[in-house]
Amino acid sequence: MKKRPILLIVIAVNLLVLLALVFAYPHLMVSPGALVAGHAELATDCFACHVPWRGASSGRCTACHAVADVGLKTTKGVSMAAGTIKGSFHQSLIEQDCMACHSDHQGLKLTQRSRKPFSHGLLKLTVRDNCASCHAAPKDFVHRGLKMECSTCHESKAWKPAHFDHDPYFVLDRDHEAPCETCHKVNDPSRYTCYGCHEHSLAKVRREHLEEGIQDFANCVECHRDPRVEPEKQGGRDQGGRKKD
Amino acid sequence: MAPHARLLTREVLPFLGSFAALALLALALDGLLHLFDLLWIGRWLGIPGTLLIIGSTVYSLRKRKLIQRGNPARLLRWHETLAWLGSLLVLVHAGVHFNAILGWLAVWAMLINVGSGLTGKFLLARSRQRLDEARQRLRGRGLSEVELENRLYWDSLTFDAVRKWRVVHFPITLAFSVLATAHIVAILLFWGWN
Repeated sequence: MKKRPILLIVIAVNLLVLLALVFAYPHLMVSPGALVAGHAELATDCFACHVPWRGASSGRCTACHAVADVGLKTTKGVSMAAGTIKGSFHQSLIEQDCMACHSDHQGLKLTQRSRKPFSHGLLKLTVRDNCASCHAAPKDFVHRGLKMECSTCHESKAWKPAHFDHDPYFVLDRDHEAPCETCHKVNDPSRYTCYGCHEHSLAKVRREHLEEGIQDFANCVECHRDPRVEPEKQGGRDQGGRKKD
Repeated sequence: MAPHARLLTREVLPFLGSFAALALLALALDGLLHLFDLLWIGRWLGIPGTLLIIGSTVYSLRKRKLIQRGNPARLLRWHETLAWLGSLLVLVHAGVHFNAILGWLAVWAMLINVGSGLTGKFLLARSRQRLDEARQRLRGRGLSEVELENRLYWDSLTFDAVRKWRVVHFPITLAFSVLATAHIVAILLFWGWN
């Protein structure tokens, strides 16, 4: 029984030392990782963001970062460069749940990202369907002049992989697995040629078509939409489409 | 079998085996969670691990007569099993990712506690075995029970080693309890449950 006071003292001393260390160095003792650079000055002020027993609160974020100003003004009221992506979508979120994307404790580099990936599902419908409100249209030859919706080829989760369905225009069977440039010269997907490979030549095609009594063979895909199928007189699928060079 | 070989196969290897199994299984589970991108599971394993460790302390309460019911021998087996399993879950939880010194101190205290517990387990088994062998030997010489108990007095001192070990095991457990409690309180204070 004599041991009990000693043990109680040991317990009390342990607790007191721990409590002192936790209060003196909370960023080292209990923080799950260093804060992002912008919040470094809050490292020892846990309750700047955390509500006791309830975790980090969006209300405490917006107390400094007014939603209307995100991407437009700094928390000190200084105007930012106009037209930032941040400014274009933070005001259009379906709800103000900062932690859905932001986790300001960076954690160990090996195991954790500091930011969760952005989800387009958090955007209001009007903004979600209008990609150009945040994204500039790519200027490469594949995308230049396209009138179709981005979602025809791309998913909102990631830009790549993209899935372009070439079949409505021309079915790329195993004999036509060629680089885009073979058919679409001068970086223009709106035009094509079938004479880009050794298999088809103008002289050969002309001879074969004239033998069949076909005079108009300028626009190949008008009849030959699917190379695996023998075309009818007005064969192929929907009329129209790309221009032949 | 030579005494040294017997010591190695019956005492040292099982002791190291239990400890190594704990470490290897924790590493394997941690690796699986990382491989299948299921880190969130590890984040929550601290709760069942803690509950299992708390459940294992029923034996300690029984041993100190703070509770009166329950077979001590059976409770000891539960104590060993639940504490080992709970430690495994907490190790996986710890291995996933955390950065706070308090949490790591709690984990190290837990590992030292497990090492201490396994030491006690094999110390106890060894003492029991020696006592049983001595009792059989003395019975074979036709000693009465009173004489037998007197003669066994010195052998029973090996049990004192167990008793002395308990004096060491308790403060280690105490340090672990304090560190783990502080870690848990910190989590409850700052964690967002929704």
